[in-house]
Amino acid sequence: MRKTTELIKENNHKRDYLNAENEKVYEELLLYIRTDLRVDEHAAEELLMDLLDHLVEAQENGKDAADLFGDSPKAYADELIENLPSQKRRNIYWLAVSGMAGLVGWFAITYGIINAVFPLFTAWDSDVAVGSILMILLAASLIGLIGTKIFFKIIRSSVFKPKDQQWKVYVKGGLFGTAGFVIILGIAFLFDGIGPVIHVAWWAVILIGIVLLAISKGVGWLSN
Amino acid sequence: MALRSQLLKGVLDACVMAVVEEQPVYGYELSQKLQAIGLPDISDGTIYPVLLRLQKNGFIRSEMRPSASGPNRKYYFLTDSGKTELEQIASEWLQIAKPVSQLLKRGVEDEKNNGTN
Repeated sequence: MRKTTELIKENNHKRDYLNAENEKVYEELLLYIRTDLRVDEHAAEELLMDLLDHLVEAQENGKDAADLFGDSPKAYADELIENLPSQKRRNIYWLAVSGMAGLVGWFAITYGIINAVFPLFTAWDSDVAVGSILMILLAASLIGLIGTKIFFKIIRSSVFKPKDQQWKVYVKGGLFGTAGFVIILGIAFLFDGIGPVIHVAWWAVILIGIVLLAISKGVGWLSN
Repeated sequence: MALRSQLLKGVLDACVMAVVEEQPVYGYELSQKLQAIGLPDISDGTIYPVLLRLQKNGFIRSEMRPSASGPNRKYYFLTDSGKTELEQIASEWLQIAKPVSQLLKRGVEDEKNNGTN
């Protein structure tokens, strides 16, 4: 059986064979199916590869995307999604764990670097309040999870639409991104200095971050 | 409308299984064969939801194989339970096909006669 990552790589490469018009329709269909979190990822990639192979061969024989996907690519994609096997619940949990470990990992590495560099130029308090940091991490994880869902929803609502409406997507995405960032900053400000204050060396923070990233990768790999 | 599409679904499932039983095929080949048989309104894409549904029910399975034109393709095979299912649908279909098409043909001809008179 071909691995999901291999299928994605092969798909990226094979799309070059499509002409501009077919590529546009195919990529919209691809985006629409990939951003549906309910379907089994591997089955979806296998289907996308089948459709791509078909479209390439059809194109060689003088047909186009409309011959394959019909007049309404969205209705066709919905019909495909309905018949795809659904993502196993266990995999969704592991994916969430992997995503959270990754998020906190990057956060720790960034924070560690800040703690290493800032004291060189300015007075910098590298002590952390345990309660506050936990609140911030919790908020960031939640916003990360909800944000991903919203972000995918925005993308899905944008595909199969005319080009002149696409700027709305960027505005929407930007607004939601800013809102998330402001909420996290607000929580950091409101819940400052809660719980015992500890001092962790910058290199230890970075080390923790690297370990978390490794865990994130490992769990992500296991869930596949 | 729902009944109509339901009926079409069942017939299409059987047609796809019948083609796959004859010889393992990959997606593009399958759509070409269905069109060659003379099913006019089968667009190329129609087969993929059907293939997904049949796989989900365990009636067909797939395997990667080199194709006649060179590159590897996903070929579909009929499973044992697919064979049983196909036999059942086929025998049910054969029981109703003749009387139903005769009845409907009569209807169409009456319509024609009424139109000319």
